[in-house]
Amino acid sequence: MRQNKEKLSNQAVQSYKIKSQLIRKLRTRFATYGYEQVHTPAFEDYDTYASIQKTVNKDEMIKVIDRSGKVLVLRPDGTIPITRLTALDREINGSEQRLFYIFNVYGEQNSNGTNKESTQAGVELFGNKRPEADAEVIALAVHTLKEIGFDNFKLEVGHAGFFKELVDQANLAENELQQLQELIQSKNLAEMEPFLKQLQIRDELQEALYAIPLLYGNPQAVLEETKAIIKNERMQEVLNNLKDVIEVLTDYDLLEHLTLNLGLINNMHYYTGVIFQGFVENIGKPVLMGGRYDQLAEQFGKAMPAIGFAYKVDVVLEALKQHQLIKDDNNPPLQIYYVPEERRNAFSAAKLLREQGYAVITKPFAKNAQQAGILFQSNGRVIVNGNEQQVETNEELLNLAELATGGV
Amino acid sequence: MEKLTIALSKGRPAKHTIETLEAADMQFIDFHEKSRKLVFYNVDESIKLIFVKAVDVPTYVERGAADIGIVGKDNILESRAEVYELLDLGIGKCKFSVAGFPNYSIDANRPLTVATKYPNVAEKHFSRKGQEIETVKLNGSVELAPLIGLADVIVDIVETGNTLKENGLTVLEDIDDISTRLIVNKASFATKATEVRSFIDQLNNALERTP
Repeated sequence: MRQNKEKLSNQAVQSYKIKSQLIRKLRTRFATYGYEQVHTPAFEDYDTYASIQKTVNKDEMIKVIDRSGKVLVLRPDGTIPITRLTALDREINGSEQRLFYIFNVYGEQNSNGTNKESTQAGVELFGNKRPEADAEVIALAVHTLKEIGFDNFKLEVGHAGFFKELVDQANLAENELQQLQELIQSKNLAEMEPFLKQLQIRDELQEALYAIPLLYGNPQAVLEETKAIIKNERMQEVLNNLKDVIEVLTDYDLLEHLTLNLGLINNMHYYTGVIFQGFVENIGKPVLMGGRYDQLAEQFGKAMPAIGFAYKVDVVLEALKQHQLIKDDNNPPLQIYYVPEERRNAFSAAKLLREQGYAVITKPFAKNAQQAGILFQSNGRVIVNGNEQQVETNEELLNLAELATGGV
Repeated sequence: MEKLTIALSKGRPAKHTIETLEAADMQFIDFHEKSRKLVFYNVDESIKLIFVKAVDVPTYVERGAADIGIVGKDNILESRAEVYELLDLGIGKCKFSVAGFPNYSIDANRPLTVATKYPNVAEKHFSRKGQEIETVKLNGSVELAPLIGLADVIVDIVETGNTLKENGLTVLEDIDDISTRLIVNKASFATKATEVRSFIDQLNNALERTP
């Protein structure tokens, strides 16, 4: 019974440790690209959120009522609060801002009520709408994916404008659009054909929509294929934009990790340009998602182009577990035992070692117990892992600690 | 070459699917219907077949335990799995339908009681129409439910309609066409693109050859 309980708490420690290691890795890498961390409150005003168009489904937000009867919402995503923060800052006037955040977001994603809280780690680059900005953010996504330890992963890149332009010409009813979107997202060609046939749209438009799911694969090849279904100037612009971004990415040397997917449709409707999501082998849902959203800040009264992405930290952890990429580097704390008359010496040694970064636990010495660590025995003798050692100076103590633990 | 894992459902559809795969030049020598083995390899071991329960196939594929699955549309719809659905094998054709007593008309002003093995399918269908429902999840003999007053209507797979007729029921409306589909894990489609695509092309060619 007792053992069971101990094991449980160890698991909690272990899983938190893995999560914080991952977060530390992301934080460090984001910082080396010049991004700075910000934080926003978990509670947001419901009315502000509800008034933002093209965003999170209101039914999926978790609402709270405060003492005065005001309705609050637990932030359902990171991008909107960070955008508002940046848009409302008067000091920032069109200058570039590189920000990142690591915090929890909340929502009713699952019908069975689990996973209401999940951690996101994301970056946002404001004030730059050039393809170089798109490429920088995508390169950062690839860099971090590699660093986390995945070797077989792909970043699927698409464009929010592509599907939108095509579908705008089709004049579909809301439920037809929804159905078409689902068919494209699941690349369901078998059902798309009859579905498109019964819509009252031109043949060439039908063909173009039917082609979308398979506009997928090697960037150069897909760009070439896509030329054939360009229908107007706006779509040509979309294609040119994608081409420019791919060209910049070529110089980052990461084309092997990129797949062009023009059937990519993100359910966050604020995206306006390049969109992308990261897949790692065998994990059927993306570990990261992002894209360009040049019009979101306007809803907070400032025109400000922006692009960003966010990791779903919990999905990454699941993937790490499945890929067996979790290293067991569980260094137990150094144990310092003492006989009563040596207690003072033991405490001062422990303090010194803690200041040097060692994890130390002090305990009174008990005979007949398994005791690896440092023992402050009577008459000033010091025993490390069973062998008596000399300790005169602090330096010698540090050497012993290293001997006992194998370093900090 | 990366290995591909394909999940198939046990039973009648398996035999049919294996025949299709063999027509596509993928031979599974040690497979025979009566075998109790659950894992088979093709000749060069580039493909691993695993046999699982039909309802579990979409889950295996969504969670990456298999790259590809071959399974009925009924199970895909009910599981709500996020997967690519790339091919219709055109076998095992039937329909999801709403059935009830002839002349039964649905009252939009009160929740409809629906007995079904497929609560997700029923909910999606009726919520699209704005009809509130209460589902009664049953695991078999669904046709009985309206007869004994357990439900107003049923949502079920209809092949010939004979079972309905014998129980005095009739199809009130059709929901979706069902047939065997090929589904693909979204990550496998990206990370094993060459293997997945060539498997699908091979299968597709074989399907086009057979009338």
